[in-house]
Amino acid sequence: MKLIYSQLQKFLPDLKIEPQQLRDDLTMIGHFTNFFEEIDSEIVFDLDIKVNRGDCLGYYGLAKDLSVFYNIKLISPFRQREMPEGQRDLEILPIQITTDNVKRVMAVKISNFKNNSSPQWLQTFLKCHNTKSINTLVDLTNYIMFLYGIPNHAFDTAKSTDNLIWEMNSKFKEFISLDGSKLFLDNKILMINNPDKTLSLSFWGGESCAIDLTTTETIIELAIYDRTTVRQNSRQLKSVTEASIRLEKDLDCELIPTAFNHLVNLILENCGGQINSQIFDHYPQKTNLPQIEFDPKKPSLVSGIDISTNFSLDCLKRLDCQINGSTITPPSLRKDITIEADLIEEVIRFWGYQKIPTNQPLTFKEISDITPKEIYLIENLKDQLIQLGYDEVLTWPLITNSIDEKTVIKTQNSINSEAVYLRQSLIPSLVQQLDQYNRFKLPEPQFFEIGKVFFKDGNNFIEKTALGIYNYDSEKLQLDIKNLNLPLVKGGPRGIDNFVEIILDELLKPEKYIPNQQQNNAIELTSQIITLDANITLDNKEDPIKLILKYSQIISSKYLWKLIITDIYQDLKTNKYRYTFQASYFNLDDKTAKSIHLKTFDLI
Amino acid sequence: MNQNLEEIKNQYQAKITDLKTDKGLESLRIELFGRNGLINDLFSKIKEIPNEGKKQYGADLNQLKTELEELFVEKRRRHVSTSNQTSLPTKENKNIFSLPKIGHLHPITQTERELNEVFRKLGFSVYNSPEIVTDEFNFERLNVPQNHPARDMQDSIYIKEPEYLLRTQTSTIESYLLKAKSQDLPIRAAFPGSVFRNEKVNRSNHFVFHQYQAVVVDKNVTMKDLIGTMDLMFKTLYSSDVVVRYRCKYYPEVEPGVGPDMQCFSCHGKGCPLCKYAGWIEMGGSGMIHPKVLEAAGIDSKIWSGFAFGMGLDRWTMAQKNIKDIRTLMGGNLAYKPNEL
Repeated sequence: MKLIYSQLQKFLPDLKIEPQQLRDDLTMIGHFTNFFEEIDSEIVFDLDIKVNRGDCLGYYGLAKDLSVFYNIKLISPFRQREMPEGQRDLEILPIQITTDNVKRVMAVKISNFKNNSSPQWLQTFLKCHNTKSINTLVDLTNYIMFLYGIPNHAFDTAKSTDNLIWEMNSKFKEFISLDGSKLFLDNKILMINNPDKTLSLSFWGGESCAIDLTTTETIIELAIYDRTTVRQNSRQLKSVTEASIRLEKDLDCELIPTAFNHLVNLILENCGGQINSQIFDHYPQKTNLPQIEFDPKKPSLVSGIDISTNFSLDCLKRLDCQINGSTITPPSLRKDITIEADLIEEVIRFWGYQKIPTNQPLTFKEISDITPKEIYLIENLKDQLIQLGYDEVLTWPLITNSIDEKTVIKTQNSINSEAVYLRQSLIPSLVQQLDQYNRFKLPEPQFFEIGKVFFKDGNNFIEKTALGIYNYDSEKLQLDIKNLNLPLVKGGPRGIDNFVEIILDELLKPEKYIPNQQQNNAIELTSQIITLDANITLDNKEDPIKLILKYSQIISSKYLWKLIITDIYQDLKTNKYRYTFQASYFNLDDKTAKSIHLKTFDLI
Repeated sequence: MNQNLEEIKNQYQAKITDLKTDKGLESLRIELFGRNGLINDLFSKIKEIPNEGKKQYGADLNQLKTELEELFVEKRRRHVSTSNQTSLPTKENKNIFSLPKIGHLHPITQTERELNEVFRKLGFSVYNSPEIVTDEFNFERLNVPQNHPARDMQDSIYIKEPEYLLRTQTSTIESYLLKAKSQDLPIRAAFPGSVFRNEKVNRSNHFVFHQYQAVVVDKNVTMKDLIGTMDLMFKTLYSSDVVVRYRCKYYPEVEPGVGPDMQCFSCHGKGCPLCKYAGWIEMGGSGMIHPKVLEAAGIDSKIWSGFAFGMGLDRWTMAQKNIKDIRTLMGGNLAYKPNEL
């Protein structure tokens, strides 16, 4: 969503804030603003609008939010025109609405106007919104859509006739859109047709009744539809337009008359002509506004900071909520407000999230451990395998080929042709992993993966956790597996040469691999071993033993449990060597251990 | 134990004890456990034993094998630890001090472990749930009904449309957790997990990536708890001077919603290509658990409240390890730089 600062100021004449501050404020109240830029001397903001805020896909909704936030006036940027309602000398449009998917339509015929190319201000506006200028009438319909967030359409009556029918398509096979795209229709598509031809989709005008410079008479309409229908139509036809983006949100039918009046005004002002029909207004089911019980203390209770009840109620008033005791009726513009939690969010966001302290986290609370045993098992196995010199790898759970067609699970819509099946074994992926190791000539590779494998059993989908291991030395592999107390799998479908796969879910007594959980914090504190890492960069390669000796002599043997070098890395750019030490301390608390560690390795 | 086997055991016990070099250890291992080694040879002779003694011989032989293997493993372990002890190397023991090979956890696991540690200190459990999930748990229970536009935020990979899909977010684990533990409140749980989206694989996008989520359900939980805990997490993971702002953000499963943004570590808020000139980088999503989500799990939202927050792990891990291509994380070619991990 683009937002031109000067246009916003037409709704908010008292808005004088610096663009950078406006960008930050918009973001903080929920309208993430990526950046602002200057286009043809206009400052233009680029916003991400939340999917539940259809009202903010127009200037009006955003201006309303900002008027509450800055506590400034929101005004109508034009003078309302009196509409010719009930004038008997004007034609009643022969419009038919045959579907419940139309929530509200307003329409009128304007005749004898002169359509031209758009005035400069309108062309600039559309350019800032990345929209191509067509002609004044078409551009004005787009302008109104951007101002109010409500899509609208103009039909050239010389091509469409006045006999517009809103209907679910039943007889037309194809539709040509304004840009010439041919779309194929079925009976699920909401259309505007006349008895003989298609005129428009709910979210995209048709070529058959397009407005051009010769057009002198039009029926303009503003409409809101059942948003699910629009969304489904848009997905089905693979067509997303500025109108479909808006119409699939929950829009405010009550805003249609204002936007409609504004559009009519602009057409008459810019193109001349006169209103030549009565106003058509189909609005079968008026909006029911929710009645929400609201406790003004709740924003404080939810936020954890003190927000006065006066502020809460004042904020809701400025949002145009009706307050009747503890019952709040939100404005029809705000379709996203339906329960008390929504009102609470409104108060807190206008109070300011930045006022909530960031330095008061939860403190420790003893709650029963619900960690599944399998997670401890996996953590334990990983630790042991690392100690045995194995690297952990992760491979793709979706793969190209199946092992067993009968039990393989196939995805239905994966757009990656190399990722169609859920893997039935880790081994094929580990074989590919070995290729990578060989490609980089890594000596004596040994690695493992713990991940899910998937199977189908009738209509059931089964997933199991598997451990796959590779070792260049098959005998060491067998020994390591034995040391891990895991069942040795030789050959067969799950073992190929130096690879082994074990289904962890099938272990008979998984608990024997799980370390005892320390329930007693006191015991934990007195017996804990604190392990800390340190990276030391040296200009030259050094004997690691001498380094271990050097540093171990600095640390008292009363506190040093273990000192090892876990990694030596040569930075080819600087030609320096980085030694990674792992020091384990005991008989110390965390803080003292860290202090000794930092001092020993000169990390302060 | 068979006398002959007993002698063999004593003989090799002494040999193992006397060993001083890596080479000798390996030679002895092959001599004992290799394909043509002594143990296999003894097993092959089982057919020569009279039937009445076969069972006992087999048991004794297995015992011998186990005991020697244990001795061997112990020797290897002691060998490794000896190599890190602090006496000066001499000509005789120089080889003993060769460093043991230590493997590496995958970078994603390393990040998960760091986060698990933070949350376990606060009394959180670590939880998980299936990766093949139903629409109900992935969407409906998270306040995203059919045809809700929020579904467009996540392109799903379906197994059996529309019911079964691969989970698109770790919030799905939250759905399972709330249902399973709705009668066992309060809850503090964190869950790392892989999630799936139907995206083309390229340098920056993958169909599988990793998220981390934490959930609390308790009485009187506040946004202050949420923001303070998130800030603690970011400070632990990044650094104590990291600047994070918390803004209003929309997610259907929370209300109020909170979006943490970290001040860009490249430009320090001034704006640069990395942060798309915003000065801030989005770090995930969070908020107070939506009352409808609690109610869907059978939890009374008038008594209980909670918060949830989640973040992606891949981009952070890539930045930390200087990995430029997301495919490296799960494509396997981390192999060329294991020492950096």
